[in-house]
Amino acid sequence: METETILSVRDLDVKFTLRGQVLHAIRGISLDVHRGESLAIVGESGSGKSVFTKTFMGLLDSNGSVTAGEIRYNGQDLAGYTTDQQWRTIRGREIAMVMQDPMTSLNPLKTIGDQIEEAIVLHQGLKGAEAHAQVLKVLEEVGIDQPERRSKQYPHEFSGGMRQRVVIAIAVACRPKILICDEPTTALDVTIQAQILQLIKDLQKKYDLTTIYITHDLGVVANVADRIAVMYAGDIVEIGTCEEVFYDPKHPYTWALLSSLPQLGVKGEELYSIKGTPPNLFLEVKGDAFAPRNPHALKIDFVERPPYFEVSPTHKARTWLLDPRAPKVEPPEHIKHLREQGVNRHV
Amino acid sequence: MPSFRFKDHKTQQLSQSVGEVLSRNYSESEFFEFAPYDPTAGERGGYSNYSYWGSTLRSFAQNKVAMFFLILMVGILAFTVVEPMLPYAPEANTIYKGATNLAPCKEYWFGTNSIGQDLWSQIWSGVRTSLLIGLAVACVEAVLGVIMGVLWGYVRKLDFLFTEIYNIFDNVPQTLVVIIISYILRPGVSTMIFAMCLTSWLQTARLVRNQVLIIRDRDYNLASRCLGTATWRIMVKNLLPYLVSILTLRMALAIPAAIGNEVFITYIGLGVPLEIPTLGNLIKAGQTVMMESTLSYQLFFPVIILSIITISFYIVGNSFADAADPKNHVK
Amino acid sequence: MAKYIFKRLLRSLLTLFIIVTIVFSLLRLMPIEGYFQNFEKMSAVQVELGLKELGLDKPLPAQLLDFYSDLLHGDLGVSNKYRRNVPVTKIIAEKVPVSMAIGLTSLGIALAVGLPMGILMARSTRTKHKIGDKLGTAFIVLIQAVPAAVYYLVIQFYGTKYLDLPMQISSGRPVTYILPILSLALGNIAYYAMWLRRYMVDESNKDYVKLARAKGVPASAISRKHVFRNAFVPLVQFIPTSVILTLMGSLYVESLYSIPGMGGLLVNVIQRQDNTVVQGLVLFYAAISILGLLVGDILMAIVDPRITFGKKEGGR
Repeated sequence: METETILSVRDLDVKFTLRGQVLHAIRGISLDVHRGESLAIVGESGSGKSVFTKTFMGLLDSNGSVTAGEIRYNGQDLAGYTTDQQWRTIRGREIAMVMQDPMTSLNPLKTIGDQIEEAIVLHQGLKGAEAHAQVLKVLEEVGIDQPERRSKQYPHEFSGGMRQRVVIAIAVACRPKILICDEPTTALDVTIQAQILQLIKDLQKKYDLTTIYITHDLGVVANVADRIAVMYAGDIVEIGTCEEVFYDPKHPYTWALLSSLPQLGVKGEELYSIKGTPPNLFLEVKGDAFAPRNPHALKIDFVERPPYFEVSPTHKARTWLLDPRAPKVEPPEHIKHLREQGVNRHV
Repeated sequence: MPSFRFKDHKTQQLSQSVGEVLSRNYSESEFFEFAPYDPTAGERGGYSNYSYWGSTLRSFAQNKVAMFFLILMVGILAFTVVEPMLPYAPEANTIYKGATNLAPCKEYWFGTNSIGQDLWSQIWSGVRTSLLIGLAVACVEAVLGVIMGVLWGYVRKLDFLFTEIYNIFDNVPQTLVVIIISYILRPGVSTMIFAMCLTSWLQTARLVRNQVLIIRDRDYNLASRCLGTATWRIMVKNLLPYLVSILTLRMALAIPAAIGNEVFITYIGLGVPLEIPTLGNLIKAGQTVMMESTLSYQLFFPVIILSIITISFYIVGNSFADAADPKNHVK
Repeated sequence: MAKYIFKRLLRSLLTLFIIVTIVFSLLRLMPIEGYFQNFEKMSAVQVELGLKELGLDKPLPAQLLDFYSDLLHGDLGVSNKYRRNVPVTKIIAEKVPVSMAIGLTSLGIALAVGLPMGILMARSTRTKHKIGDKLGTAFIVLIQAVPAAVYYLVIQFYGTKYLDLPMQISSGRPVTYILPILSLALGNIAYYAMWLRRYMVDESNKDYVKLARAKGVPASAISRKHVFRNAFVPLVQFIPTSVILTLMGSLYVESLYSIPGMGGLLVNVIQRQDNTVVQGLVLFYAAISILGLLVGDILMAIVDPRITFGKKEGGR
């Protein structure tokens, strides 16, 4: 498949200062996002997946900053952007975002219509009645009935799922090229989750969007992603197509992650969980960050950070186990049968 | 080989040199051997060695302004206790004949007042009385507030009653209550304490009640109870930290408030009798002579001492409440 | 909305009734010499007769009933010392406009200074050294920690000494009002600045502000349209506190500067032990406090759409 890179990140470093201590949140990530694809970034809480995508929009908290690397978009290096003015050429207009909790991401004192209209006025150059008409159109698009009446209501008059539709409407109303969905369904009921994911998929097709999902829910990933990037401790440890990562994972962390899928649990046995906690990013991480929790860790894992080893042109992983000199380690039995067990696109 | 968890710069340097030694002394093949797996190693890197009180104290100690005022506050408290025991400390009300309205000098550090009393000993005696009032109010408020708050929160039948009482009395400014009570009863230290305690405990009780409701109903406590955590443990771990922080804050603020009320009530003429030196009485006396520039020190010494005391209590109380807030405990 | 306001109004009336009853009953314990002009010269029999005349020998419920029936006729009794035999309502009515004018002016100034101060402080928290925030905080701490009764005196001292302003107001000269109005405003300035700053900092960390940033709204528009509005709404709740602060402050300030208002009056009649006027004024003060709370709640319901909607999500 012919791929065109829309956003390209190189050796990105992000650091936060907290009470005089430095937290190294993103440790040299490189990533190419392809136009029109849907990429999922997975990882546990604190792995830096949200922080990573926030750098694309200049939305880091004020105590954090990009300290090295670049973010190429449209021939510009976003990592060098500093002013609100520069970022406004990107935010909404080029890259928009759907956040995790629809209960808090809308302004409680403004009507839904006003909040969508704000985006339309900013990015579609419409005003007054035209803008209002567009608001109704967008509301309809995201599946909200009686848009005229609903547009005059306040967020508290909507359910969680409906609010998330409104948040999506705001994002789409900006007419972006890239849509970042930060845990878009985590705060929602299971029954609503599928509807929201379907809605995003439909809009992606309709508006030719590139979508980046951030999630810790492998079920969501299997449902929507073309490619998967697995993050651990501020780094992408494995990246590949959905098939590759699910059915031929190479990094021990990915194995552990997949092992913790509840669907793989055997009746009567304890569910698998990854032992230990992620490393403290206030301290410098040496070697492979996952090594202390990794039963298959090699001595070198504690000394030297592994480079990426290419498994296929689309699949690479950062683990010494792929080094030709390393002993052969097979992934755990149970995840080898993921395909047979039906953990596929219909999880 | 141990896993490296770097604690500081030194160990980091050390580990670097270990790395170098390793690469020199070990052949490549050894590098690619399995490292011994220690399941507990993974836990060490985490953030779990968190201690609430430790973090609270540390974050308070890091606040230099608060530490300064804490030391000042402790110093003043200690001095007010010790002062009358010092040798040659005169009785505060002693009148020195012929020594009226003397400006501060070697013998009378803060000067003397219009009837020839030593202002230095008057002020410290006044501070004692005012702090006594303040501490008494704060203690009653804390004890009554906690007992009533727990009852309010735990006994569902009382909830309505207490809430109504609170809603009604919250409408009346405390100063007004103090005025009414002081007007009705004979002025004095105990009247003043009684008047200030009458409604102020409601505030503390409400804070405690809200916390009790949280303990009772919040999901994380419910979860904790489902896991078999004993109620006392939930109380100690979840209620106590919060209680201590609101109580210290309320107490620290009750003292400046009580001192302020005392000054105010004294001004209106409902205060403690003149024979008992209080900050209010001293300030009132100073006020009558403040326009004579040679005598204005009689106003300013009590005002300065009073301000130092109220400001230190206020800052220490607020800083401790900030330090006790887990949100400010980020490492 | 109308239903909410009506319910709220009923509540306030009930509260007022309960408080008036309690205060009235408490005040029956007032020293009896406060009912007579020349108590010292009266014999025991005369005192008894006098009390009977005032209806004070009856049991408390009967007295309460009398009081309420008088109250409904707008009668709060007559003064017996301050201005002999002049109805209390008349005395208070003369004083109210003076206090109102000074109180409202100082509140207006407090808002005009306190709100911008809060905004500047909130903005300063995002700068490197936070100098503005630190200065503002120092001011707020000073005003809140030092008792008002004390800094009022200091203001009067320095104002008269170094700014050459008079110690007492005189109605023809606006300059003479500067010190008392400034004194009264300081407490509210600190209060509004502190809370607006806190709320603005809180609000600007909320998700909806992040979403607004993510959709490309300019920073100035975010702080104006989103942050300030949301931070200002809860401030409406402070109106009752402001009223109370101003009222209590005016007790002191008015007598310091000899302003012929209610505050000065209360101090005056307390010192002279004029029971009926004290009673009338205390009840009046309680009524204003309750009114302040009512106004605060009604305004709140107007500015915040969540409040009348339902209990679950309303308010903070």
